Amino acid sequence: MNKTIYIFFASIIFISASFAGGPWTQQKGVGYFKLSEWWITYDKHYTDSGELDPNITSGIYNSSFYGEYGLSDRFTTILYAPLFSRNFYNNQVSGTTGEVTLVGEAINSIGDINVSFKYGLTGPGAKFPIAATLTLGLPTGSTGGGELGILQTGDGEFNQSIQIDAGTGFQIGKTNAYFSTFAGVNNRTNGFSEEFKYGLEVGAGLFNQKLWLIARLNGVESFNNGNLGENINSTSIFADRAEYTSYGLEAAYYITKQFGISASFASAFRGKIIAAAPSYSVGVFLDLSK
Amino acid sequence: MKKLLFLISIIAISFTSCIKDDIIDDFVEPTIRITTTPDTIIAGLQFQFDFAYFNNIGQQETINPTWTSSDESLLTIDQNGLAMAIEKGAVIITVSYTSTDVNISQSFAVNIGEVFVEAPAERSGTIATSGSYLLEGDFTIIEEDGKLIINIADNYAASTALPGLYVYLTNNPATNVGAYEIGAVEIFNGAHTYEIDGIGINEYSHILYFCKPFTVKVGDGEIK
Repeated sequence: MNKTIYIFFASIIFISASFAGGPWTQQKGVGYFKLSEWWITYDKHYTDSGELDPNITSGIYNSSFYGEYGLSDRFTTILYAPLFSRNFYNNQVSGTTGEVTLVGEAINSIGDINVSFKYGLTGPGAKFPIAATLTLGLPTGSTGGGELGILQTGDGEFNQSIQIDAGTGFQIGKTNAYFSTFAGVNNRTNGFSEEFKYGLEVGAGLFNQKLWLIARLNGVESFNNGNLGENINSTSIFADRAEYTSYGLEAAYYITKQFGISASFASAFRGKIIAAAPSYSVGVFLDLSK
Repeated sequence: MKKLLFLISIIAISFTSCIKDDIIDDFVEPTIRITTTPDTIIAGLQFQFDFAYFNNIGQQETINPTWTSSDESLLTIDQNGLAMAIEKGAVIITVSYTSTDVNISQSFAVNIGEVFVEAPAERSGTIATSGSYLLEGDFTIIEEDGKLIINIADNYAASTALPGLYVYLTNNPATNVGAYEIGAVEIFNGAHTYEIDGIGINEYSHILYFCKPFTVKVGDGEIK
């Protein structure tokens, strides 16, 4: 899909990775759960040369569940499930006659599900924890939808990624803060190119850790080793050879000790074959580690 | 829990109706085109000239044009385009159309002689990108044995990064609406040929490259 759409898929991965808590695993029997709405609409995209070209206005909305659960103090399972995903494009209307020349369409379905397994390479309580995460991307979404066959809520391929997270907690005065980073490789099937992923994240808990402000920098670089034909009539190809560097901000507020709300956005500094628009997310979460 | 379910419902419902309108600038100047263009017609015989009119979005419309001859002592023509070649010589035939907001015409020089001679039917142009995707190259179009043959030159190159890149013939390079779809682009570098049945060499004004998934023009080439 276009960069935005790719941002769509990339962002899902990005969100999952971020919420997974960096190198920190959940304690045994403890979890973190979140319901959120993530969306993006875009009318331009980054081309293969990194410049901006227009496209018909399209968008994706995901209502998703995200959950982490500690099977042991060092082993955490993670599920990202877009339970309701909607992809649409606008009507195209002649500016000369006012007639609709292309009727907009939308499809609704479940999106692509990610299942992750995180293992703490360092023991619980380590000052500089390191964790390894295996993520399985399941092609549970739809592809080729709509009359033109260009709507989709998944990329149609099974992928496996491995990433290493590292980080540390620290204090700024009396404010608790953390820093984490990750790097990983995403192995994709069905002719898609493999990807190198990386990211940085810094967060600080204000007002006695009731309000967490988080800043992120994420990127994807393609190995450009896919063999997808150029004749595939689907924007799903935009999930291939896509690259970007994005920044994002998130605010998470604990209304009670364990229950809170969050809002975030992410946008790209640069990109190739990916949508050129910010993505947004709002959600509610339950943090049983508190 | 009730508050949570309520919030989730609001979030989900909020994003289910979002198809709006994209307005495209698809205006083109109306054109009228003589589509039968022989070099020489035979003195003493009739010849039927045809035309096509394309409106301000490049769509063909039926109109009643005016046909005129520059020298009625050599050739007369009625308002259906039916000409009577009287004597040898050369005349200019003009088809014109006037309405409240259109005033257009096209003229065409034809010889009158002893034998019928078809005009060399060849047109050409240059393909150029309209955005930042690579798309360039020259082309020629000829009509041969009832087929339209589009020869893309060896200086042609197109980006392989686009999904669903299609090539069309059109009278409105802003859109693929109403265009003749030649097919998906399968060659992205070098010379190649498209052969099309049932299309006249004067029927279209542009080659159009269009990305279907993005519903956006990638480039075009005016057929001159």
